[in-house]
Amino acid sequence: MSVTPSSPPPGFSRRTLLAASAAGLALLAAGCSSPPADEREKVTSEQADELAAQVAVQEALVSAFAAAGAADPALAAEVAELAGQADAQLTRLRAASPGGSASASAPAAGAPAGPDARAWLRGQVAAAATSHATASVDQSGARAALLGSIAAGLRGQDGRLA
Amino acid sequence: MADDGSGPEALDESTENAALGNALAAEHAAVWGYGVVGAALGGDARQQAAGAESAHRDVRDQVSALLTGRQAEVVDAEGAYALPFPVLSEVDAAALGAVLEDGVTAAWVRVLDQAAERSTRELAVGVLSAAEVRAVGWRVAAGQPSVTRPFPGLPDA
Repeated sequence: MSVTPSSPPPGFSRRTLLAASAAGLALLAAGCSSPPADEREKVTSEQADELAAQVAVQEALVSAFAAAGAADPALAAEVAELAGQADAQLTRLRAASPGGSASASAPAAGAPAGPDARAWLRGQVAAAATSHATASVDQSGARAALLGSIAAGLRGQDGRLA
Repeated sequence: MADDGSGPEALDESTENAALGNALAAEHAAVWGYGVVGAALGGDARQQAAGAESAHRDVRDQVSALLTGRQAEVVDAEGAYALPFPVLSEVDAAALGAVLEDGVTAAWVRVLDQAAERSTRELAVGVLSAAEVRAVGWRVAAGQPSVTRPFPGLPDA
């Protein structure tokens, strides 16, 4: 679905907005935007380190979902979809990381028991979103897009947990 | 000068401007679309739509000024746009709000992918996050079964 111009104006086809975005994203997904993909995907050592750090941030968030669920079983059921999304984000981040695998360890999360677990989890989600957003600015190309997208997704989760 | 660290030929102002032009087109469409959304809503929801429209106007103006300052192409708004579905109820309006934000989100992810300047990525990630937060609100209002997205703006892997 998209919102498109109602009539094709000169030099501008009906497929504005989402169609144009989708076309661009198809290129992004294929890694074939204007410069050659291998050229665009060069990663400096600093960027690689930063990306590995974001993998660790996401691992900690996945652990936080588990800890919050253990502390408050009702919350576990409520946030199961969000937890699954966090896990999917971790998988894709690992795939994008030059190392490609899990980092050494994620810090153990200590969720408070009972109703405070929700607020605690929300804080963890918000912190991870901020971390990924900040990191996206220091990356480039598809890595910046991935981190920025994940940050936005976690902002959405943060709002859902409010 | 571009500050992209992945190589001097990889991303430059032209790739960035093209993506910003695409984002500007998305912002134009969102501003227009929120007129439709707001007209179908009442009370607090209408205020929510007005706030979203105002946010998109601000981004639109910011991007337009940025591109003008670079003497790059500035895409104008269309006179009207075709809706993806009829807006006959408040649920339809909320669903359209989500569609509008999804379009903006995709365009700004593209900016992140194509940007050469750090300042542009800062702008993009902020706009992208704000759009997704609004999208979640509209999906809730539309009664959609799944309201959050793991990868807003990105195609499925």
